[in-house]
Amino acid sequence: MLTARLEQEAAPTIYLSGEMDLDCADLLRETVERAADGAEQVILDFADVTFIDSSGTGIFVRLCLDLQVTGTGLRARNVPPVVAEVFDMLKVRALVGEETFLD
Amino acid sequence: MTGRPIRPLAEVTSLEIAGSSRPPTFKVLRYRADAEELEVVVGDDRLPLKPADLTKLARDALAERTFVAHTVPDDGGELCFVPRDDHCDILSIRADVRRRHHGDHRRSPLEILSDLAAAVACGRLRFLTEAELQAEVERGSVVLSRPVTDSATLAAARSDVADALEELGFPPERREETILCLSEAATNALVHGGGRGTLTLVDMDGRARLLVADAGPGLNFVNWQEPGGPSQASMGYGYHIILDHIDDVCLSTSPSGTTLILDQHPRRPEVMSAC
Repeated sequence: MLTARLEQEAAPTIYLSGEMDLDCADLLRETVERAADGAEQVILDFADVTFIDSSGTGIFVRLCLDLQVTGTGLRARNVPPVVAEVFDMLKVRALVGEETFLD
Repeated sequence: MTGRPIRPLAEVTSLEIAGSSRPPTFKVLRYRADAEELEVVVGDDRLPLKPADLTKLARDALAERTFVAHTVPDDGGELCFVPRDDHCDILSIRADVRRRHHGDHRRSPLEILSDLAAAVACGRLRFLTEAELQAEVERGSVVLSRPVTDSATLAAARSDVADALEELGFPPERREETILCLSEAATNALVHGGGRGTLTLVDMDGRARLLVADAGPGLNFVNWQEPGGPSQASMGYGYHIILDHIDDVCLSTSPSGTTLILDQHPRRPEVMSAC
């Protein structure tokens, strides 16, 4: 299960924790929508994500692309190896743009 | 809820061309030198060539021990002849290359089908008949079996299988990639296989076998991408990931269900297939 905690820092930051699979779409979309309200950037912190599959990755990619259209940049940081490996497999950087990744 | 809603992509550019909207299909027939008729493995026996012509091409491929692919004139489809041991599988693939929309990050049916065909060609994927599936299901000793009905049961299955793989001697990295593939297979059952599946882990004397079975309508690729549209989770990469990371994959699919068998050694074999 995934949990998402929104903190209003320099940019709104969402701390993700747990597993990202087919079930995380609604939670992630709602939290990101709440955070995006007029902001230039929304940051997703992946440090405590312990698992992701192609469904979880697909949800992240879709959110990035949708947000780009509204003028808000979704940014990812602290991506752990278990997530980075799947992102590499699925060529996520090419899909959402290098600038999405802060580290 | 407050805040600005995220709109879907304002304009979706259709790259589809007129007249090319036939549903993608995927069928597998099997030729055996000692059998009178071609055997249906996936789908039905309605192929764009006559059985006599299919038989001749299959016999040639088997004699030459060579993978052969033909484009079917006026059909847009492709026929692949894949010799293996004493038989030759005939894969019939028809998919619309252009059926992909701007802003849609998901893979097209053609890309998914091409992955499957390539994996069969290089021996990583086998399609099983019902009889072959029954024989495979009876092998080995069952370590655990779990229903997968939603994200919670899927997460529990991942956790239980990870523990069991550790006991079977799988090092952490190997466990990780095997669990990822399990998640992809079970998600396919949830999304495309009638909404529930059964996961079974079998000890095959030195290697692990994961069976993911559903009683869904079978893989027909017609409704392959889920009805929610591109905002939904799927990227169409499930099989791609599975075929890239599992040593041997078997697939049986019919209108009464789909079973995927993933055979994995604790360590990646030194000699991998040529592709």
